[in-house]
Amino acid sequence: MKRLIALIRREYWENKGAFRTTPLVIGGIYIAFLLMSIFTTTHIDSDLYTFREAVRVMGEQPDALRGTIMYQGMLGSSVLFTVVMSFVVFFYLLGALYDDRKDRSILFWKSLPASDTLTIASKLITAMVLAPLTFLVVMILTHIIMALIGSLMVLSADANPWTLFLSVVNPFKAWAMIAASWFAQSIWALPVYGWLLLVSAFAPRVPLLFATLPPLVFAILQTWIEFLRTFTLKNNIVGVIGNWLFNSPAILTAEVHDGHGEIALGVPLTENFDHTVTLANILDRLFSVQMLAGLVIAMVFLAGALWLRHRATDN
Amino acid sequence: MTPIISARGLTKRYGRTIAVDHIDLEIPPGRIVGLIGPNGAGKTSALKAILGLCTFDGELSVLGKNPSRDRAALMEDVCFIADVAVLPRWIRVWQLIDVTEQIHKGFSRKTCMEYLAHTKITPDQKVKQLSKGMVAQLHLALVMAIEVRLLVLDEPTLGLDILYRKQFYTSLLNDYFDEDRTILITTHQVEEIEHILTDLIFIQDGKIVLESSMEEVERRYLELMVHPEFAEQARSLKPMYERELFGRHIFLYDSVDREQLAALGEIHTPSVADLFVATMKRGES
Repeated sequence: MKRLIALIRREYWENKGAFRTTPLVIGGIYIAFLLMSIFTTTHIDSDLYTFREAVRVMGEQPDALRGTIMYQGMLGSSVLFTVVMSFVVFFYLLGALYDDRKDRSILFWKSLPASDTLTIASKLITAMVLAPLTFLVVMILTHIIMALIGSLMVLSADANPWTLFLSVVNPFKAWAMIAASWFAQSIWALPVYGWLLLVSAFAPRVPLLFATLPPLVFAILQTWIEFLRTFTLKNNIVGVIGNWLFNSPAILTAEVHDGHGEIALGVPLTENFDHTVTLANILDRLFSVQMLAGLVIAMVFLAGALWLRHRATDN
Repeated sequence: MTPIISARGLTKRYGRTIAVDHIDLEIPPGRIVGLIGPNGAGKTSALKAILGLCTFDGELSVLGKNPSRDRAALMEDVCFIADVAVLPRWIRVWQLIDVTEQIHKGFSRKTCMEYLAHTKITPDQKVKQLSKGMVAQLHLALVMAIEVRLLVLDEPTLGLDILYRKQFYTSLLNDYFDEDRTILITTHQVEEIEHILTDLIFIQDGKIVLESSMEEVERRYLELMVHPEFAEQARSLKPMYERELFGRHIFLYDSVDREQLAALGEIHTPSVADLFVATMKRGES
């Protein structure tokens, strides 16, 4: 356990830019946009006339509506974090078992009494737990800072931020939903994580090509052969991967129409799952046949990665 | 006493090339063994097999374990420097010490810091900011602070200046080495290690061409320096190797009577470097 934690800390140190700086930049962008809009507002309208009017109109709306808007706004703001985090984790895993082979530091890591299984476990846990955790902490901080700035604005317009927008929403519920969707996503994404680790352990160079070309070539062949046989276009492997992606438990879209907000998990293409954000809907796909198949595939990939890592040296 | 390393028919193939060719080897505890061979002789391949860094054919047991299967368990009692400059470049010195301390039970932070105190390395530096020599110093400080039964050093002092190399081998001998520990060293700078070695192994084309203790080397091999007029006589005693230096002929003999040679000229124990050259030349012919 002590060794596993040491290895995970090592992953964090090596990838501080990805796991710490990246979410901080996203949070910074949100806060910068908020400050810019405040600056613009006060610049055009120094008496805050329009702003006061907006606060007054908002205050006249029922609490429930304000609550929904706040809640959906919070969930919606997670989308950028989710998308960027997916890229961060993708490239992290792609380099996880490749970079130390390339710079030969694998010879040092293998001189320590940590087994290859433990090493791969540390990388997988980093992707599945550490990455969502750091993004979550930074996102919560961003929400708190934005709420503080918003409150100061509302106070300066002589209104009460607590009754206006703070008390109408339960932020913990929003954070819990986002956290649940991210950790569910970690499990849902296991086959892809396994594939990336396998490629990372295998690729002699440019792991990105080795990760993306085989499924692409396979899909083209599949489509072509299928087309020659039946003269119709059916679901190929890219379709399967696409379908999998669109059934993600990560919150990926947010729309608010006349107070009837709609936040969906993935982009519903098929009717396999319900995509409205509830805890049950987030977790249901983890107990599906698809997930079971995904776990089996992930196991095969991870076993392959372990086999390769065991044989890996610096050349 | 059970040997630290025991190999029987150890073979390593890369495709069709045979890097290590059916080596039999037994290294008891409490020795400092020099593994010496020309480039491409199979030293590194043999070491990699011993350290569990590659698969191999034949039998190999290190501290009673199969290195390929039990690498992680083996590394509790084995430490190695595979090559200089393999420390991760992104890591900071304190992080490196931290992670080693967490993973290695036998690591002493105090000892490591003592070794580092003799260098210009500071805890907050990144490995990529250090010079090549400093990286080697850092790696040596880490390794010397770990209590293990077998230490393997593959060209450990590459890039270090003479002062530090001398200091390193002195502390290796005085502070580190004891009768329970075994050290296996490969290097091209044979002169620097010959006085600390207890055993010598020469490897050529994947085969062991000489395996002997230093005492046996002293008993068996003699170097004779003669004036040209005695050269023919000396040659008739079948030397392994002959060379000329300042108009004098120097012959190297394997198991020839000391008295007989002393009559012809000056005799002394050959240096490991000269013995190496002689053995390699004999192997080539």
